[in-house]
Amino acid sequence: MASGAAPRHGGPPPRNIPRPGRSLAVFALIGAALMAAVDEIVFHQILHWHHFFDRSTPGVGLLSDGLLHTAEVIALVAGGALYADLRRSGSLSPPHARAGFLLGLGGFQLFDGIVDHKLLRVHQIRYGVDVTPYDWAWNGAGLLLLLAGAVLAVRARRRTGGGGAGA
Amino acid sequence: MTPGEAGTHAVSGGGFATSAAAAALAAAAVYALAAWRLRRRGDAWPWQRDGSFAAGCLALAHAMLLPGPGGPFTAHMAHHVVTAMAAPVLLVLGRPLTLTLRSLRPGRARRGLLAVARSRPVTWLVFPPVAALLDMGGLWLLHRTPLLAAAHHRPLLDAAVQFHLLAAGLLFTFSVCRLDPVRHRWGLAVRGVTLLAAGAAHAVLAKTLYAAPPPGTAYEGADLRAGAQLMYYGGDLVECALAAVLAVEWYTRRGRAVRPRGRPRAAVVSAGGG
Repeated sequence: MASGAAPRHGGPPPRNIPRPGRSLAVFALIGAALMAAVDEIVFHQILHWHHFFDRSTPGVGLLSDGLLHTAEVIALVAGGALYADLRRSGSLSPPHARAGFLLGLGGFQLFDGIVDHKLLRVHQIRYGVDVTPYDWAWNGAGLLLLLAGAVLAVRARRRTGGGGAGA
Repeated sequence: MTPGEAGTHAVSGGGFATSAAAAALAAAAVYALAAWRLRRRGDAWPWQRDGSFAAGCLALAHAMLLPGPGGPFTAHMAHHVVTAMAAPVLLVLGRPLTLTLRSLRPGRARRGLLAVARSRPVTWLVFPPVAALLDMGGLWLLHRTPLLAAAHHRPLLDAAVQFHLLAAGLLFTFSVCRLDPVRHRWGLAVRGVTLLAAGAAHAVLAKTLYAAPPPGTAYEGADLRAGAQLMYYGGDLVECALAAVLAVEWYTRRGRAVRPRGRPRAAVVSAGGG
């Protein structure tokens, strides 16, 4: 059957050609979902810093929390399937995947720290203490992850830049 | 029995619970018989489907007959998680409609069933957002109006509520998984977004129940909190399972798209891996 010439049938994704954008996006999704899960497991279940329900939470905060939590569960499963598909078709680009993963981790953490904690006031990192140092630590760590992800993304782009198929 | 302790459905809705358990066990027996006949005539029918359907029936019967763990509200929630969420997933994975259609001989019965499955009302019912609205709407009504309190004293109402929860749970699961042949094949996006919205509605309801009991009921604080958390995290597990069903469907379909039909996998690998 087909030997040298790659079969070109319309629609289906190419095989064995690295797909940097897709690798980055899939791992950003996995990173964000994983950080949300870690956030929940560490702060709710292990440290008990967060309450299961906070009476001061406004309705919109409660809704966003429920939506985010559900999205986290679905994104973890979807991310797994997308990753498996990248592996199967041989189009995973590891440098971009690493960059995307860090971008996802940091992006979610910063989103949580600014939108959830400060704008919507769904919950705070801790209760009954001055939260300022905690906020700086949480958002700072998120920013660091995000920056590290950005640096890796630039490096990955330089390394594989020029359109050459990764060996 | 004092009204306050009427939390376990095995006690409050005795008649319905017993007949539902009996129906579940009968369904398991009929399913096993049908699958056996299918295999005997040479059809392929994976054993996992038998196992899944039987597990769903057993879980349903178990939840109907035996009182749940913990206080009355926790027991109520355990009952809800099993009958309206976990058991429906197991039952739907058994593809009962496909099995029925394959077992029936060509004739009026099969034509009739197919006509019902493809009729307009059924098509609307299995439109994922409608199914989700029926399921989540019923759940919110039960817990955020005096319905739950009223059902404690009226066995008939209680049976109706339980029936609705079970039927709506089945309908929602059926429409999101979409493994059996019905008229419209809604895309993954519609079903995924519906799952997201329904999951969020479920999580929000669970969180509010943690702080405020359903109107007209007086559950103990610890019982209420345990029940709400059971609902929340139990919902996660079921949601994970539903998301996995969608993910597997997507992955399989994409695999087919990549590999031209009739071409063995090894040929593709050797052609591409050089």
